[in-house]
Amino acid sequence: MFQLRILSNCVLHQLNSNGKLFLPLITTASDLHTSQSCLKKSLAEIEVPRFTRHNNVVFPPQQEGEERRPAFVCHFKEKIKYSPDKMWYIACLIRGMSVDQALIQLGYVAKKGAPFIRDTILEAQEMAVKDHNVEFKSNLWVAESFVLKDIVIKGMRRHARVRMGRVEYKYCTYFVRLEEGKPPKNYYWTGPQTGPEKLEEYLQSLRYRKISSSL
Amino acid sequence: MLPQSLAALQCQTLCSRLMKNTVTPAIVMLIQKRNIQKHWNPKWKWFRAKKFAPVELPDYHKKEKSLSEMTPEEVRTYFKENGVQPTRVWKERYFYISSSSDTFEQYVPPEGDGKISAINSAGAKQKLELLKKKTTSWRNVKKIRSYEPDFELYPDFIDLAQDIYVKSYESLVRGDIDEISQYVTERALPEALSNIKNKTIHWKYIKSIEPPRVAHVRCAEVISKENQFAQITVRFHSQQVLAIYDRFGRLMHGSEILAKDVLEYVVFEKHICNQYGTWRIHEKIIPDWMPAPTPVAKTFVKPTPPPPEEEITQAEAKPDVAVMQTEPSGGTGPQVATA
Repeated sequence: MFQLRILSNCVLHQLNSNGKLFLPLITTASDLHTSQSCLKKSLAEIEVPRFTRHNNVVFPPQQEGEERRPAFVCHFKEKIKYSPDKMWYIACLIRGMSVDQALIQLGYVAKKGAPFIRDTILEAQEMAVKDHNVEFKSNLWVAESFVLKDIVIKGMRRHARVRMGRVEYKYCTYFVRLEEGKPPKNYYWTGPQTGPEKLEEYLQSLRYRKISSSL
Repeated sequence: MLPQSLAALQCQTLCSRLMKNTVTPAIVMLIQKRNIQKHWNPKWKWFRAKKFAPVELPDYHKKEKSLSEMTPEEVRTYFKENGVQPTRVWKERYFYISSSSDTFEQYVPPEGDGKISAINSAGAKQKLELLKKKTTSWRNVKKIRSYEPDFELYPDFIDLAQDIYVKSYESLVRGDIDEISQYVTERALPEALSNIKNKTIHWKYIKSIEPPRVAHVRCAEVISKENQFAQITVRFHSQQVLAIYDRFGRLMHGSEILAKDVLEYVVFEKHICNQYGTWRIHEKIIPDWMPAPTPVAKTFVKPTPPPPEEEITQAEAKPDVAVMQTEPSGGTGPQVATA
């Protein structure tokens, strides 16, 4: 069964890539295999439309004196033949960096996934300038950068005594969101709070508390 | 199997010889041996690899050749590999028979229209030329009447034209494509919709400076004699407000408070032989003498020109320089002729 699945994946990909030529366009593997495992979407396949729909959100016009809303662009590169676990390290590295800095840093990462991330950022940068009214392409920073597990193709490995083991060939999808402006000083930690800030936080917690059996 | 293992053995002996000959131990590659469940002898590497069932993994980022670029032999192998029959290419060409593809005998607006007064000599000359052209227009109005006996230019048509003009803008602002196609022909629709995706447009029609008037009437047959189209060019001189915001609500073009005088020559078209035909906006005439529209305030990187054939010295070569460039404001805004 797994051999058939693999075959179908390869063939379908090749057919779909040149889809115009074939009148009865074969869409997914689910056409051939109707079992539940084939119908199930991967984690990344579910996330892609959810993530990219932010590119079509239209905000209301800003009033005069209002702070200029920073532009952002969401982009992804799907089905990269690389382990999502390994890609995680590279995705974390560039988080909260300016685009130029991220591209420089990625040039020094000797891992298979780095060029894919680099390409994704460059594409997103171009999209931002072309479609999202960003004036300067260097004035962007990596606001989100994460990786999700995509399809896994199962292979087989021979063991002793007529036994077999499963081999997983993993694919991953990389997501990035670039935001206009300068990167924050601390991406993960907002820094030590001052006295009034701490007081404000304490007051807020008091206001949010729930008094049971009250009105 | 035998030659393979022999090759592995040869490789191994070569490695050991190399290791003996090396003088500095720093060059020797350190191989991790602890905690690795592999045999130390590379002779078995090939055998270990044979345990895996061969899997053809799809590469989703491979740049594939299109069939037009392939040689006939490559095309043959491509179809053989995939086990499918080549199919014919599906090509469709769309024809819209409810609108014409062009403007017949396009009206040329007089130079300096909206600015030159009829009292001076240039204005008087223009008036005279207009009178000559009017005769052809009246002949064409008669032709429209042969299909539509109650047709009157003033005030029936001109009121309708004004209504269509305003409603087309209002539906454009709302982004209602179904509605806008009622007021705009298939030829003008892509022009009207270009560059408006994810943008917020605020448009207001304040008043007419001069009452709209018909400048030009033309009828033409397409393919057969019965298939008649009528086109009427209407001159609108009005005051409008236009502000275009981008996806994030930031002002891109125009202003919310600044009213501008707009002079436009709009071509309306109707498929007169069709009893259900309607008057729709077909084109806007932009004369050659009109000054360029206000550009969008944006900085662009000037593309470097391709290097000339002579060799350029290093001193002459210059990097990219950011410069201000003017870009037309696209098809969204009304064309401003006078200010």
